[in-house]
Amino acid sequence: MIVLTYAVLAAASLVVAFPLLLALSYSFMTEAQVTSFPPPVLPASLQLDNYARVFSTIPIGRYLLNSAIVSLLVVIGQLITASLAAYAFTFIRFKGREVAFLVFLSTLMIPWEATIIPNYITVRDLGWLDSYQGLAVPFMATAFGTFLLRQSFLQLPQALIDAAIVDGASRLRLLLQVVLPLSRPALGTVAVYAFLSTWNQYFWPLLITNQTLMRTTQVGLAQLRFEESLRWGFLMSGVVMVAVPTLLLLVLGQRQLVRGLTAGAVKG
Amino acid sequence: MMRTLTSVAMAFALIAAACGGSGPAGTTAESGPKAPDKGVEPAGKIVFWHAMGGTLGPEVNKIVEAFNKSQSKITVEAIFQGTYDDALAKLNTALASKAAPALIQVYDIGQRYMIDSDEIVPMQSFIDRDKFDVSDFEPAVANYYKVEGKLYSMPFNSSSSILYYNKEAFKEAGLDPEKPPKTFEEVADFAKKLVKKDAGGQTVRYGFGPSIYGWLFEQWMAVSGGYFTDNGNGRDKRATKLTFNDEKGKAIFDWWKAGVDGGYFWNPGVDNDGAANAFNAGKTAMYVESTARLRGHINATVGKFTVGTGKYPRPANAPATGGNIIGGASVYVLKAAAAAEQQAAWEFVKYWTSPKVQAIWQAGTGYYPVVKKAYDEAESKEWASKYPQFLTAVDQIRTAPQNTATAGAVLGVFPEGRRRVQKAIEEVLLGRSSSKDALDAAATELNAALEKYNKSSGK
Repeated sequence: MIVLTYAVLAAASLVVAFPLLLALSYSFMTEAQVTSFPPPVLPASLQLDNYARVFSTIPIGRYLLNSAIVSLLVVIGQLITASLAAYAFTFIRFKGREVAFLVFLSTLMIPWEATIIPNYITVRDLGWLDSYQGLAVPFMATAFGTFLLRQSFLQLPQALIDAAIVDGASRLRLLLQVVLPLSRPALGTVAVYAFLSTWNQYFWPLLITNQTLMRTTQVGLAQLRFEESLRWGFLMSGVVMVAVPTLLLLVLGQRQLVRGLTAGAVKG
Repeated sequence: MMRTLTSVAMAFALIAAACGGSGPAGTTAESGPKAPDKGVEPAGKIVFWHAMGGTLGPEVNKIVEAFNKSQSKITVEAIFQGTYDDALAKLNTALASKAAPALIQVYDIGQRYMIDSDEIVPMQSFIDRDKFDVSDFEPAVANYYKVEGKLYSMPFNSSSSILYYNKEAFKEAGLDPEKPPKTFEEVADFAKKLVKKDAGGQTVRYGFGPSIYGWLFEQWMAVSGGYFTDNGNGRDKRATKLTFNDEKGKAIFDWWKAGVDGGYFWNPGVDNDGAANAFNAGKTAMYVESTARLRGHINATVGKFTVGTGKYPRPANAPATGGNIIGGASVYVLKAAAAAEQQAAWEFVKYWTSPKVQAIWQAGTGYYPVVKKAYDEAESKEWASKYPQFLTAVDQIRTAPQNTATAGAVLGVFPEGRRRVQKAIEEVLLGRSSSKDALDAAATELNAALEKYNKSSGK
């Protein structure tokens, strides 16, 4: 039975991973191989010309570094702002809390296309074009993350919160030592989501950067393609290099998420 | 991802169109912005935005660096700004906040939009001021970028469409590999002979496989001597009506449809790369695409088959006034830049059009040189000996008559126009609509969009 389960799971994961595996395979192929018919699945040899050409065309290392810095800044920023906001919306009673929360949530309905020009003008006026703060700060607050954390905070047993209060915990202490440690799965989700969405940003970084040294990975990928001279192997080797860090994050983050989910604080 | 970007680009276009309503009238060479005085010292540094991705980016940088080294006064900084649509969207944002470059590359179908934007200094005013000699310009290229007789921008990367065919497949089918088909009728006839089926009756090779690409339809209208819009394709006067839904347009649709229904044309869908890959893979024996893809095809098929090139096929009854259109992109000097920057941009543009630089550009990219003298340079000659098939492309634009039909259309809603025509082709090929109905529906819809655009741009 276990064998069967694993066989089915392996087959399913192969289907899910197929585009990525194909990209990996194409990245080792010559252009003639990519375009032969029927399309080959595996490269004839592991030639690294495509990778070498990506390195000589764009400063991919710098782009990866920039994306990593910006994504981490956004993750940290979102975790701080979202946990504080969610704490207020969950545990502090104040007038108009529900309305304020609804207004907060309604910002989810505003398409980012509508805010991009005002944001651009603000960032320019602050003198933040071509800077890490310009790339990261506009994304450091998140309604979605706050919502997610609030839902998670609401699930915490009231007994636990009461016990901490009775023991004399301050609000900050309650948040840092009781609420947050118990909300690791939700925090992990917010972090991974923030990281991936920042990592995959294209238009905003393109808009506010002009210096090559301040650009990010997705702009770099765009730089590798042009319709009238498209080379799949070349493009895919760039895609692979950009995808690896996100994969690493998922692999490492997943353990964290699963462990967080199974950890229990209250018995019975 | 592409869908989001397109919608962003369209959102910008809408904003721009809406803002244009109360704005001043569009740019013309007589009134409106002019080149700065000849005495203005060029700026020490200017920024040039382009959309040349892939292997083209390094070629642009090479030429820009050569320019920077060739003199000591001006440094040009070339910045890649995403696809043509992205670059245009970014320009609109930058213009709103005075962060625009001095020079920007915009695609062919953005021409009317740029002219109407009132944000450019027409290239013609620099040409007139300096009495810059344009007599050596490739006529077809110049013709495409002239609107109402004036050059608003400088051609940057120019291509055209040609027929590609597989010489080995021709031999196999008993056709003369040195004689590509010239007419629609011949293409259909050859395609039938080129079809190869396996033992199970499955087609393993189709005769002809063009992508559903609006540009190809525009080219077919032009070689048929037809007009995409009224007022001489919008060249004599602003276009007010789409006219591709005539007999000529219908003939193209009918021919295409008959081929797909007959099983000798392959329909890759709206997928230019798919069509190109199918040709490389030998799945289609003939197809039509940009001349800029020539080198890619030759390199991708080394050891598999020989790529032949033929003139873009046309209907047998096409009048002599028909011919191919130029496609690609051109560069504009922006009004928002300081006079000194405009001056510097013009210096770069002049350098760019020199025969030597154009020959290097051709050899590096496969685009047509802007000036004919470029073909005399060593780089161009070497390239031609390596890719003799390119001569077909040159011959094709040299022999085409230059008139408003072959100049191609200029209209404010061209990006939408192209997409809408593609939708019409798709409907017909999939049997959802007749040629006439699909063309009429597309024209009606686009007429409304065009009217709205013309109104909002104050004309």
